[in-house]
Amino acid sequence: MPCEHYKDALTEVAASGAVPQGELRAHLAECASCSAAFDEEQSLFAAIDSGLHAAVNTEVPHSLLPRVRARLSEVEAPRLRWLRPLVFASVSVALVLVIFLMARPWHSAPEEVAKQSAVAAPAPAARSTETNPENVSSMGTQMAAIHAAHSHTAQNSTNIHSSASGNPEVLVPPDEREAFARFVAVLNERSDVAAALVAKAPQKDVVVTADPPQIPDIEIKPLEGTEIETSDGTGEKH
Amino acid sequence: MCEAAQADARREFEERLAECGPLAFRVARGVLRNTADAEDVAQEALLRAYKSFDRLRDHGRFRGWLVRISFRLALDRLRSAKRREQRDTLWAKPAHLAPPSSAEDVAASNQFRAHLDRALEQLPEKLRLVLLLSAMDGYTIEEIASMIGVPLGTVKSRIFIARKKLAEKLRCHANTIKMR
Repeated sequence: MPCEHYKDALTEVAASGAVPQGELRAHLAECASCSAAFDEEQSLFAAIDSGLHAAVNTEVPHSLLPRVRARLSEVEAPRLRWLRPLVFASVSVALVLVIFLMARPWHSAPEEVAKQSAVAAPAPAARSTETNPENVSSMGTQMAAIHAAHSHTAQNSTNIHSSASGNPEVLVPPDEREAFARFVAVLNERSDVAAALVAKAPQKDVVVTADPPQIPDIEIKPLEGTEIETSDGTGEKH
Repeated sequence: MCEAAQADARREFEERLAECGPLAFRVARGVLRNTADAEDVAQEALLRAYKSFDRLRDHGRFRGWLVRISFRLALDRLRSAKRREQRDTLWAKPAHLAPPSSAEDVAASNQFRAHLDRALEQLPEKLRLVLLLSAMDGYTIEEIASMIGVPLGTVKSRIFIARKKLAEKLRCHANTIKMR
């Protein structure tokens, strides 16, 4: 057992890791029990230091930094993830706008075409009033040319015609197309049918005036060999 | 612009990572006494530090900041592990196996280490952190003082008190081990 007077001093010196000085040093040189207690205290603190040192200074695993870097990359990815839907949404909106703007002329195009055709229609109709075989044959040729061109574009591609003319293409079922081709062939062969088709239809509101028919006076003549009914009811043969 | 700033922050953090990663691990290892758990905690601490790196005004204080994060996470892990251990013990009630008699010295050393761990856990957090940092290689007391942002004298006194408290708790166990 250490001397009671030096007990705390021994512990404090051992805890601080300092070398005993002055009176304590002299006492340790004289007192064997205090010297032994001091040695015990020193070995105890050495064991504590050794345990702490071993616990704290272990080798750092080589996987630590690569794992941290991998996790950092994972953390960064969600930070930028919100950008993707934003970009996608803005691109979608822009695309819809572009489609809408491009589609607007397409809606008005048939109306314009209808107006243009309405304006252009009377011209050939007016010309058709002078229906002669030459005109009819030339019209038949035009229709055949139109048919040929139409069938050609239909065979190649449906988009070529629409993209070239700027008008939407009318999709026709194949049987109707064949029927139309046959009809055009008939028109080419029979010019009178073509002329009848392109002739101007009579207008409803036009008042047709005609001279009253001249009917001569009726002469009543007895027929030869016929019986004339007499007043007395007996028949008389002539 | 935002991506460039983020890339700069990442580069700066990467530079500090090589230096401070081991420090975070060692602090966690000192608390937990388990390498795998300490690695997990260090990883989590570094990740948290990275997430809040732009909020750290003085980047010179990064080391102390990381040490505190790592220390706190390690304490949380230790507490939850203790709760789990208590629960498991209650359910399983494992038999207390006697240490192998042939390796008496090893057993004595392990026993002392177990007592040291327990005594360390009972230390106040302020004392424990300073004691662990002082036990690490490569850090002087001055560096520890600047790292945790306390005066040099405070660090010294904390180390002294911590050692004394540990010695008080371990003295009887040291005598027991010595008697064998």
